[in-house]
Amino acid sequence: MLTEEDIVARVSRLTVTRLRVFVSQGLIKPEAVRPEDVAPPGYSEADLARAALICNLEDEMGFNEDDVPVLLSLIDQIHGLRSELRGFVEVVEALPPEVRTTVRLRIEQRRRG
Amino acid sequence: MAEDLYSVLGVAKTASADEITKAYRKLAKKLHPDLNPGDTAAEEKFKEISSAYSILNDEDKRGQYDRGEIDASGQERPEARYYREYAGGPEGTRYRSSAGYEDMGDFSDLFGDMFSGGAGMHGAGMHGRGQRGGARFSMPGQDAQYHLDIGFLDAVNGTKTRITLPDGSTLDVTIPPGVTGGQVLRLKGKGHPGLGKGPPGDALVEVGVKPHPVFTREGNDIVVDLPISLDEAVLGGKVEVPTIAGKVAMTVRPGASSGQTLRLKGRGVKGKGDQLVKLNVTMPETIDDDLKRFIEEWKQTHAYDPRRTMKEQA
Repeated sequence: MLTEEDIVARVSRLTVTRLRVFVSQGLIKPEAVRPEDVAPPGYSEADLARAALICNLEDEMGFNEDDVPVLLSLIDQIHGLRSELRGFVEVVEALPPEVRTTVRLRIEQRRRG
Repeated sequence: MAEDLYSVLGVAKTASADEITKAYRKLAKKLHPDLNPGDTAAEEKFKEISSAYSILNDEDKRGQYDRGEIDASGQERPEARYYREYAGGPEGTRYRSSAGYEDMGDFSDLFGDMFSGGAGMHGAGMHGRGQRGGARFSMPGQDAQYHLDIGFLDAVNGTKTRITLPDGSTLDVTIPPGVTGGQVLRLKGKGHPGLGKGPPGDALVEVGVKPHPVFTREGNDIVVDLPISLDEAVLGGKVEVPTIAGKVAMTVRPGASSGQTLRLKGRGVKGKGDQLVKLNVTMPETIDDDLKRFIEEWKQTHAYDPRRTMKEQA
């Protein structure tokens, strides 16, 4: 688990205050801490990459702060979809060859309209 | 990387800092890997524009570049790790949105729920076949059909091969492991060219599998007849067995008989099936006097009837 300090040190232009804003907006969800816990919230490598992405969207690409939650929500939906699609593909791949071929052909036919 | 940095960003050499930033942002929004998950071409392009921007955005470095003091590759950033690399994995689970599959008919209750997401996407091309419609007089090209005979082991283990077509052109074909005779491989866009803006047709390659002198296939299992010697059958021991992935050592128990089948787990096709090894006790080419004498003596006191059950049944 990474600490707030680790994240801030590894993402350029990120400050503790800014990171906390991301967390309060729900853009980053560090490992939860219960009220009785003393340890600070822990971040994963994915959280780190996500923090870098948010900074990137705002600083390098010049997206407005208000736009970023919308973008992230769309990105998260895409990854949700890709994950479902991957699961679907895995299921199809495990089917007998004849069924797989049929599925492929149907999809291709559909695409051609 | 030898390309001119200004043309990478599509700006003039005289562009102002503001114009450069604008041009970069426009391209970055289009090409950023996290905005294009699963697209490696976009990632390559993005790397180019980022490294161009990292030089041109810095007044000192831009001056150095203009004066030829540093080249276009002067500034390599450390490899960035994009969110998309985590998004599909376990760490991304909590962010992946499972909202909104109510429009998926009978499957709507399955999605957003069932699949938890495994490792990498199978099969590369999720890009589809390009736009539908297009210009009015466009027509997709015809599919082209071919037949290709491949060796047994290539079919079982998969391989890459280059085939030469009747017209002299060549085609690189990836044979997926476990392919069976009669299966058709579809190579997107490798068929006859389309009309107008129509996409080319596909090449359909029907695979034929040549038999192997040692291996035969039953579903995902591989079957091998293995001759063993008289002493191996009586005393047992380790014998070398060919498998589709090379030789392995197998233990034969003392007292093995012909027809007995041993199973090598996971040694079948794509690791899914097993290899079945049928033992075949084989006598020495000549029965010498020693053996004859020994068996004659042995039989006096140890005679047995292997057909006893058979006689009871028929």
